[in-house]
Amino acid sequence: MKRATQSTETPQVGRSVPRLESWLKVTGRAEYVHNLRLPGMLYGKIFRSSVAHGRIKRIDVSAARALGGVHSVMTGEDVRRLVPDPYYGPAFHDQPVLALDKVRYVGEPVAVVLASDPHVAEEATHLIVAEYEALPAVYDEVAAMTSKAIVHDVLKPAGTFPDLKHFKGRTDTNVALDFHLRRGDAKKALAGAHRVFEHRFRTQQVMHTPLEPLVSVAESTETSLTLHTASQSPSFVRSEVARLLGWPENRVRVRVPYMGGGFGAKLYIKLEALVAVLSLLTRRAVKISLTMEEQFFTITKHASTFRIKSGVSADGRIVARECEVWWNGGAYADIGPRITQKSGFTAPGPYDIDNVLIDSYALYTNLPPAGALRGFGIPQLVWAYESHTDMMARALGIDPVEFRRRNLLRDGRPQATGTVMRDAAIEKVLERVAVLLDWKNPFDRGSGALRRGRGIAVGFKACVSPTTSLAAVNVNADGSCIVYCSTTDMGQGSDTAMAQIAGEVLNMAAESVTVVHSDTDVTPYDMATLGSRSLFHMGNAVKLAAEDAKKKLDQLRNELGLPADAEIPDIFKRKYGMQAGNVVGTGSYVPTYKSPDENGLTDSATPFWMVGGTGVELEVDTETGRVRITRLVNVADVGTPINPRIVETQLSGASIMQLGFTLHEKMQFDADGQLRNASLAEYKIPGLLDIPQEIVNEAVVAEQKTGPFGAKGVGETGTFSVSPAIANAIEDAVGVRLTSLPMTPEAVFMQLQESK
Amino acid sequence: MRREIRFRLNGEAVSAQVAPHETLVELLQEGFGLYGARESCGQGLCGCCTVLVDGRAVSGCLYLASLVEDSDVRTIEDGGELDAVQQAFIEASGFQCGFCTPGFVLMTRQLLDEIPDPSEDDIKHYLSGNLCRCGAYPEIIAAVKLAARKRKGV
Amino acid sequence: MLMMKAGVLRPARLVSLRKLNLDSISNGKDGVLVVGAMTTLRELERSAAVKEGWPVITRALRTLSNVRVRNVATVGGALAHADPHMDLPPLLSALGARATIAGPQGERSAPIESLYAGYLENTLRRGELITHIEIPPLGKRRAAYLKCTTRSADDWPALGMAVVLDGGEARIWVSAATDKPTRLLAAEKILKGQITDEKALRQAGAAAAEEVHIESDLHGSADYKKQLIRVYLARAVHEARNAVH
Ligand SMILES: Cc1cc2nc3c(=O)[nH]c(=O)nc-3n(C[C@H](O)[C@H](O)[C@H](O)COP(=O)(O)OP(=O)(O)OC[C@H]3O[C@@H](n4cnc5c(N)ncnc54)[C@H](O)[C@@H]3O)c2cc1C
Ligand code: FES
Ligand code: FES
Repeated sequence: MKRATQSTETPQVGRSVPRLESWLKVTGRAEYVHNLRLPGMLYGKIFRSSVAHGRIKRIDVSAARALGGVHSVMTGEDVRRLVPDPYYGPAFHDQPVLALDKVRYVGEPVAVVLASDPHVAEEATHLIVAEYEALPAVYDEVAAMTSKAIVHDVLKPAGTFPDLKHFKGRTDTNVALDFHLRRGDAKKALAGAHRVFEHRFRTQQVMHTPLEPLVSVAESTETSLTLHTASQSPSFVRSEVARLLGWPENRVRVRVPYMGGGFGAKLYIKLEALVAVLSLLTRRAVKISLTMEEQFFTITKHASTFRIKSGVSADGRIVARECEVWWNGGAYADIGPRITQKSGFTAPGPYDIDNVLIDSYALYTNLPPAGALRGFGIPQLVWAYESHTDMMARALGIDPVEFRRRNLLRDGRPQATGTVMRDAAIEKVLERVAVLLDWKNPFDRGSGALRRGRGIAVGFKACVSPTTSLAAVNVNADGSCIVYCSTTDMGQGSDTAMAQIAGEVLNMAAESVTVVHSDTDVTPYDMATLGSRSLFHMGNAVKLAAEDAKKKLDQLRNELGLPADAEIPDIFKRKYGMQAGNVVGTGSYVPTYKSPDENGLTDSATPFWMVGGTGVELEVDTETGRVRITRLVNVADVGTPINPRIVETQLSGASIMQLGFTLHEKMQFDADGQLRNASLAEYKIPGLLDIPQEIVNEAVVAEQKTGPFGAKGVGETGTFSVSPAIANAIEDAVGVRLTSLPMTPEAVFMQLQESK
Repeated sequence: MRREIRFRLNGEAVSAQVAPHETLVELLQEGFGLYGARESCGQGLCGCCTVLVDGRAVSGCLYLASLVEDSDVRTIEDGGELDAVQQAFIEASGFQCGFCTPGFVLMTRQLLDEIPDPSEDDIKHYLSGNLCRCGAYPEIIAAVKLAARKRKGV
Repeated sequence: MLMMKAGVLRPARLVSLRKLNLDSISNGKDGVLVVGAMTTLRELERSAAVKEGWPVITRALRTLSNVRVRNVATVGGALAHADPHMDLPPLLSALGARATIAGPQGERSAPIESLYAGYLENTLRRGELITHIEIPPLGKRRAAYLKCTTRSADDWPALGMAVVLDGGEARIWVSAATDKPTRLLAAEKILKGQITDEKALRQAGAAAAEEVHIESDLHGSADYKKQLIRVYLARAVHEARNAVH
């Protein structure tokens, strides 16, 4: 599609520009790694562990190797020939490229068959025989605290994070991080409180299931390696693969085209280290595409247990709160320890509480690894604290909205860490949800077997910090513009937003701006596309880069004696005598941040807060327990939306995803840690017939003063409050309280029976 | 055990060597470099692999390649200018990551051929075999309605 | 096909029945509908004759998997596969349909329900094929099929309940929760002449839940599925009574 370069005075920011890649996507031409075939390429198929915890006694690959058409079969020992210490991970160097010595969950990669025909490779995996000496296993996060079953013999922190250093060399523990926060004196305040409430909540293990399953391709020469990968973190992949190989980073190139969804599944190292090593060992290009089923054995979302205890004064103010959270990280830490801390410190919720105690633990267990999933732990926390809040309000006989109002954390007040809240429209969000639900007025409660209820919840999140983004903006001699950044577009619309930001600075139509996809040989460093950080961090970097380019153009006009309004092509023609040359602006953004002290306190915990509230109207069939959502209201503080339409669809899409996690999605394991539903036939995600009758999405009028044009991230916000709003509405409808997810018809029905 | 088959692909007569277990998606990708039909669930549930065979939508992940012998096969890559359905998906923001989009576009065309003015219930039922993990469902419903209006020229 | 993909079946040879000309829907004697076994589910769904004479089938097909599957799946496959979660076996059993089966020993006719021995187990003998099914006219009978999914809406059913009312009598078949389509005789007995009586419906539901063996699985516990049987029995009878036909 030819896009003309248009100079424009109309604002680019705040305009619902259709996605730049629209044509590519509706015609099936968008580039995904999936499509890539390289000459001589081998396909890898993975042979996986059948036991949850065991010492590897023997792996017999002879029959697989002998199958016609098989190129080779590789195990952990082959990997070790090339990489002496083949363990990776963002927080701990705990995950082997292929299992070594031990397996730690059912489904862990143990060997890979390579063949030119993927069917042959697949068939050969069935011929591999592995023998294990079974070890005791642990699956529950709370049990893992004290279990005799130890998942990792020795802990090996990656060294990047100061709060993990003291774990180095630890043995006999499954704790991969313990975060503690103490502010005021929670114990004393609880002892003196008018009423004390204590509840315990659980969330289940679920999976991202991006429709484009994880896929990576590696090609190599003697001295260089190129990875084409569906990754949300190309810069991390480059540095981690370079570290494993002992190479400088400039010999590893990581390219990411479009992605068919990510949601946190495609972060850090997934298949990249494996295909890299296989390519170097075979001197061939190697591709591994996971099936939907295999994704369940690769990365998941933390199951969790949350004990929460609050003291309330006679006038309905929360005076103290104790939070104890256990995160089930599975067999490898992935980013779990960061979730434990970065989200852990928001566990008391968006409330103004003077006395707070938080203990948050990342645990290893013998389940598939857990990482970030659209909210970085926040939905698990909001589930607990917003259910707890409602339960207290009901017990105290105070209207749930009024109870929240009384306790809300307002701008200018310190959050649990001591960081003062700025630009967090918590109150506005709560009030808008209440208005959109018409909370003040009576509500039709249904009759007969169908009972109706409504519920509300509001949650917040601190964006991870400190993280860095760099960008470059190139203005060509004809005046056209290219943005270089390593933010990856997995459907959230970042390409479009970055083009709008650059266009706004340079007075160009966003549609005429090109955004180069992540390629670490070309695009500058970026921490990763995660945690709703990119629009803020990369947005700021792109804005700075565009401003730098603009400044350089202005300087050129000045130097060349051209008027201030001279067209860009004229500048270059004057300077080079023809249409030649270009101007490159660069920008780099790192927000201020201060690490928490020994009490978990800091006055600069995060560059910005995200706020998401949800209101729900629903119907419960009291004979079957089935819950039908008739109305779902999502309200968020996203600062000033860069692209209102994309913001709306992000909120809506996130809330629909969270509906699945709330009502039916669950990875079901048997007593031996075998997953029983690793496919979309048995692990059901929401379809068209499952969405609420009506969904309303709204961004409140707000501004993030430090964000690009007042904006901040939104990708996760729609997930925060959906689950507790539904639980609260169920209690409103039928008087029973669910404290575990998912709230299946059966769970609701059984609770109804118990309450009789 | 490969066998030669002949069929029409997006209007052109073609032939291919296919193995008995080979699926239609594999044939389109490996044999013809067409990647718009793509495998995701591999079980007939998500519609990412939708292909039209003799005017009927099928799941290319479950459809044996050898069965398209003498058939007319059409994929999302067929055709030049964007049609009403594709335009409507763009205007109504009916996608995010785009992985599910070719399937939704092809199924929507089928739906509108059968029911030019579908109700919301018709849309939900007809497209219930297409999944979108990005959750663009409300926008997809809007896109289908818009496409229906566009087709009628209003 | 699904089992081949999953590697459960690794056939050396596949036999295609496509060219046998068994894909027509026609009217037989006495108002019987004759459906060729190779008729696709979609052809059955869109057939005007079916919609006119057996609208319960048209309605049931609308939520049976999805359009792409129905475009390809055949009536014969849907009956021979013997997965208890399939929708047509209980419905066609309740309607009193029969299958014509051709085999090395010639042709035989058998009631649909007799095709099932257990979970994924049919009673077809080696070399036998279903060639047709015959569905008797509904006449004055009223029919309903209710499908209950417990996870997403497009899931396979946790319970399928077919009810055909003939005057004061009900014929009730359940599947999905049971390992093959199963007739609820005790419930039918209680309902005899009492299909409009709420108390009888409750009693029949309770009897139905007791007369079948149910296992817990990923769709729900045995206890919960028994509750679904209790509730859906009455709901299906109501729906059948109100069926416009
Ligand atoms: C995603 C998905 C969802 C589904 N959901 C549902 C659902 O909700 N409800 C439901 O009822 N079904 C469901 N199905 C099943 C579907 O409707 C088909 O019935 C099923 O695929 C079998 O039909 P087929 O014609 O493809 O059979 P095939 O796969 O061709 O055959 C199935 C078996 O029957 C044998 N067979 C086929 N024809 C004959 C014959 N004429 N005589 C004797 N044996 C024969 C075959 O040898 C094979 O063993 C679903 C399927 C999919 C893929
Ligand atoms: S990949 Fe074929 S339907 Fe999902
Ligand atoms: S747009 Fe991503 S799956 Fe539908």
